[in-house]
Amino acid sequence: MDPLTVALIVLLSTLSCFLYIFIGILPGTDETATMAPIALTLLLAGLDPLLVLVWFVASIAAFKMADSIPVALAGIPGGVMAVPQVPDALVAKEHGLADTVMRKGIAASVVGQVVALAVSLALSYQLMPAGEWLRATDTVLGVKVARWFWLVLAGVVVLAVTSRSRWVALLSIPSFALLVQGLRSIYGRPIYISFFLGITIGPLMFDLLSMLHRELRKSYARRGPKEVKLARVGRISLNPLRILTKEELAHSTLWSAVTSILATVMSPVGLTILVGDLLREGSRDRVKGSVLAYTVRDAIKNATYIGGTLIPLIVIGQPTGPMAAGPAMPFFTKLENLGMTPRDYIMSNYDYTTIALSLFLATAIAFLVAYPVLVKYSRRITLAVFRRVPAEALYGLFIAIVIMLSYYDAKVAGIFGTLIVSLVSGALWRLGVSLGVLFMTLVAAPTLVALLTALPL
Amino acid sequence: MEPDEEFYELYGEYVSLKELGVCTAVSTALAMLFFYMAPRVAELIGVAAGGISITLGAVGATVGFAISLLLARVKREVKEV
Repeated sequence: MDPLTVALIVLLSTLSCFLYIFIGILPGTDETATMAPIALTLLLAGLDPLLVLVWFVASIAAFKMADSIPVALAGIPGGVMAVPQVPDALVAKEHGLADTVMRKGIAASVVGQVVALAVSLALSYQLMPAGEWLRATDTVLGVKVARWFWLVLAGVVVLAVTSRSRWVALLSIPSFALLVQGLRSIYGRPIYISFFLGITIGPLMFDLLSMLHRELRKSYARRGPKEVKLARVGRISLNPLRILTKEELAHSTLWSAVTSILATVMSPVGLTILVGDLLREGSRDRVKGSVLAYTVRDAIKNATYIGGTLIPLIVIGQPTGPMAAGPAMPFFTKLENLGMTPRDYIMSNYDYTTIALSLFLATAIAFLVAYPVLVKYSRRITLAVFRRVPAEALYGLFIAIVIMLSYYDAKVAGIFGTLIVSLVSGALWRLGVSLGVLFMTLVAAPTLVALLTALPL
Repeated sequence: MEPDEEFYELYGEYVSLKELGVCTAVSTALAMLFFYMAPRVAELIGVAAGGISITLGAVGATVGFAISLLLARVKREVKEV
């Protein structure tokens, strides 16, 4: 690695950290909606894909540490992944342990990300030869089908079955694939970015357009400003080893390793809920159980994001899980300016050692920047963000970026394509379908529709 | 802000539809303006327009965000307990 690359890694990791500390603390910031468009913008702007991956890994570190701070201090999640932590945070807050869970969560994030990075990179190195086999094609019903397709299909079916509304989720797979392929045939091009962004902002757009309906609007109406109660924080040690108990450290390490691998095909939110609930229910002391569950969930958040990105990226080359097909999807999308996917660019232009060193460096920088900032100033930052940043400004920013990228993708038709995909996605999400199902269907759509139409029925 | 003023809950936040419309319009208009200015800027500095368009568009949206901070009101009442 040359000195310029190292300098760029340090610079981008630092910038990413500051941006995602801010985004992480803001309530209502969905991970895919905030991480994917920015990564995509950087890739389309011509930045080296490895540097964008560095940016992305640093953003995971900062975002996942920061999004649980408003949970601990005010019971408000900073992102979707922090939602499962709310009940445990409220128990801790009731018992005057708000600052305890906050610092434990931040320390567990460090453990989760470092363990997941080591496990994912080591496992990917061992499994890299299997990638060639997965990328080979077989002929099924006269359709050329890549072997990784079956992995994606299995993943999307598992995700659909574990959705809140499994039958709607299962029915939505072929239907959504037909919608996407239908629009692609109208455009006459294999459009991807517009549809991806459409799913990303689906829940936001569905709620927003529902508010334009006089009757539906009533259910969203609230009076006066939203009251937020912010807990006080005592003096906190900067040494992360003093923060976690041996039991918390052991559980954080073990579950980070396990869930980073499972996130290759499984949902990060689902894993965070599952493991956290198991730990809480397994403890006789309600408060101790909640503190342990809260802490380990924070480690799992980082671990699933890292494993769910890196294993599909390095080994398979296709987004096989909700994380890869969601926030990390820009790395698997063929871009005109590169003439290939950023993933293929990284794997063909950099050796494994350079990739591994870059990601460890990004993580180290991210924690050197974010950890002391969050431990020392978390309350002050939360207070400033809550008091000074209106939600409208942030939502306006993301809608503007989505409109611009949709226009870039397919001109005015791209904007309306994004709108219809977002409405359908938002409606399905409201009916209990995980957005991961739709992201993965988007990936599988060309082969799925080809197989559907080739069926002799 | 009136204590009983009506807002709408979106993603766990209280928003005013009028302010959201204004903020979105400002950020989108600036993003698209910067996006369209990009080929001229690219010509001036002698680089390809493709990447610059997205970068400048994002810069425009961010400028819109900064302006929106002044146009919209915060609907949270923070109490320190």
